[in-house]
Amino acid sequence: MEVPAVRVEGLEKDYGKVRALKGISFQIGEGEIFGLIGPNGAGKSTTLKILATLLRPTAGKAEVFGRDVVEEAGKVREMISYLPEEAGAYKNLTGREYLEFMAKLYAKGGRDADEMLELGVELSGLGERLDDKVSTYSKGMTRRLLLARALMVKPKLAILDEPASGLDIINAYTIRKTIKALSASEGVTFLISSHNMLEVEYLCHRVALISGGRIVEVGTPAELKERYEAENLEEVFMRAVGLEGGQK
Amino acid sequence: MSDFWVLFAKELKNLLRDKKLIFGLVIVPLLIYPALGKGMGIGIEKARGETHVAIANFDSGDYGSLLIRALNSSPNVTVTLVEAGDVEAALERASSLKQNVLVVIPPGFSESIAENRSATVYVYGIFSSLGTGMKESVSEGRINAIIQALSRGIAEIKVKKLGFSEPSALLSPIQARSLSYVRGRLVNVSPSVVSAILASQSVTLPIVVFLMVTLTAQIAAGAIASEKENKTLETLLTLPVKRTTIVASKIGGTAVMGLIAALTYTFGMRSYIGSSFGGSNVSLGDLGIRITPQGILLFGVVVFLTVAFALSLAMLLAIFSEDVQSANTVVSSVILPLAFPSFILMYTDLSSLPKAAAYALLSDPFTHPIVAYQWMLAGEYARIAWSIGYLSVAALVLLYLTARAFSGEKILTAKMGWGRRRR
Repeated sequence: MEVPAVRVEGLEKDYGKVRALKGISFQIGEGEIFGLIGPNGAGKSTTLKILATLLRPTAGKAEVFGRDVVEEAGKVREMISYLPEEAGAYKNLTGREYLEFMAKLYAKGGRDADEMLELGVELSGLGERLDDKVSTYSKGMTRRLLLARALMVKPKLAILDEPASGLDIINAYTIRKTIKALSASEGVTFLISSHNMLEVEYLCHRVALISGGRIVEVGTPAELKERYEAENLEEVFMRAVGLEGGQK
Repeated sequence: MSDFWVLFAKELKNLLRDKKLIFGLVIVPLLIYPALGKGMGIGIEKARGETHVAIANFDSGDYGSLLIRALNSSPNVTVTLVEAGDVEAALERASSLKQNVLVVIPPGFSESIAENRSATVYVYGIFSSLGTGMKESVSEGRINAIIQALSRGIAEIKVKKLGFSEPSALLSPIQARSLSYVRGRLVNVSPSVVSAILASQSVTLPIVVFLMVTLTAQIAAGAIASEKENKTLETLLTLPVKRTTIVASKIGGTAVMGLIAALTYTFGMRSYIGSSFGGSNVSLGDLGIRITPQGILLFGVVVFLTVAFALSLAMLLAIFSEDVQSANTVVSSVILPLAFPSFILMYTDLSSLPKAAAYALLSDPFTHPIVAYQWMLAGEYARIAWSIGYLSVAALVLLYLTARAFSGEKILTAKMGWGRRRR
């Protein structure tokens, strides 16, 4: 039986008295682009952080390619690449130095740092600006650099929290195409959280709707639209959480 | 290249390109301290320059003229005779002539000396501005020395006239010659000189250690807190690298900056003290104090462990801080009270303190470099070894706690705005 890229079962997370996750379960197949959508505070980022080995679940289980994210966190980190929603790069380094630094850390085990760097340079699309310090970059340029960093290492699982946040239309479009291409050509599995329903619909093979720390629906965008007789995922979400009338 | 070296190189590059840090670490100690010392040295040199003396002679006898001749023939003294009806007028005249000192020879000066009575000559320092007063002080000292030499010369002539062949023996029947006995060795140097040499060491070292410890602690705290503030921490913690390697690389990078701080501040302070207060011709070697390579090595280990302790403590505190500002506040609040007690050792040494106070001071890791330095000079290596043992335990415990805190999720979830009002 094939091991899923991600297996989450009954995952709970408490921050003191606040219950951020109330027992969520889902699976992601290898090579799949899976979207996690929901409003602010729904538990998207917490789920992503647990899978990225940053947070420990209060209860439940999460595995990446069969490895437990708590017990085998080191092994999990070798397979993933995580892009937080709010992320920065080292301001005193140039963009190229930043990519080079990351490539060297990922390149162990026979993988070629130069190859990664070359791909990072290409994905960033920053051209000569890569030789300038990160402190001189705009928000959009920094995001492109960070995305290039996350994708150049061709991880088995890329966890991207709002990947296109802060990017203009052209850059966001390019990034979506890159994600699709890497999924198709390299078999990279993607777990993406986003507020942008159009983005999710365009990108994801399957999506999970999350609200109040619970998963309310999982399916392909087409299945969900059909199930809720909705024109788009935005309507699906509103109907699934009972904020707008509709049929199931 | 191993993960440690990749991270270490990044840390160092990131720190060395921080302009504010380089200003505090290199520019201040290497340029500003020596410049301050040079400025003070120039002031002292200027004060030691030519003394301009105005003389108001109200005496008509030979001894008054003798005093004027003595002042005239002294090096670094320029004499100007002023004519005035009284002392006040003489002072006004001397001041308008920009003289440093006015010497007033009163009426009956020569007569008193001739009749073997004590005569008084008045020396007025003229303060044209209210600066340091160094010039006036040096001038007054110089004139007094000339007057005393003349006074002694006159006394010796008078005594000789009375038939004594050795007037100086009569005038100074007791001569004191000061020598020092330094740790079982007789040294032909006065205790005040020995004291000055030791004092210059005991002043410089606590200041350098204090600056080094507080600076490196702030750098270490900043290295952790800036990862939070610049939103690079989450990415860093998901890299395929052991958390202990991340902590070690941060300590390594900061320790190098600490070493740079130690060298630049030692050089800067030495340069400041050397150029402002002048050096002594007597060295530690002249006092029979030999610093061996073994002693230097042991002392170096003590300094290294003290810095490691400070770095670990700062990092541990920074883990729970929200941003760089909070980290700096909490690190200052904890490190400064720990570093201050070492200043006690500027004024006293450990052996002269009550036992309880001495042990209390020794329980503070930041006093160890200073006492270890004294033990190194004294060749008491067993005591330094004891100090190394104590510091190793303290630093290792803190390192362990820091590594543990770094491995947990508290580093991400703790958001304490130390010293700041929470909104």
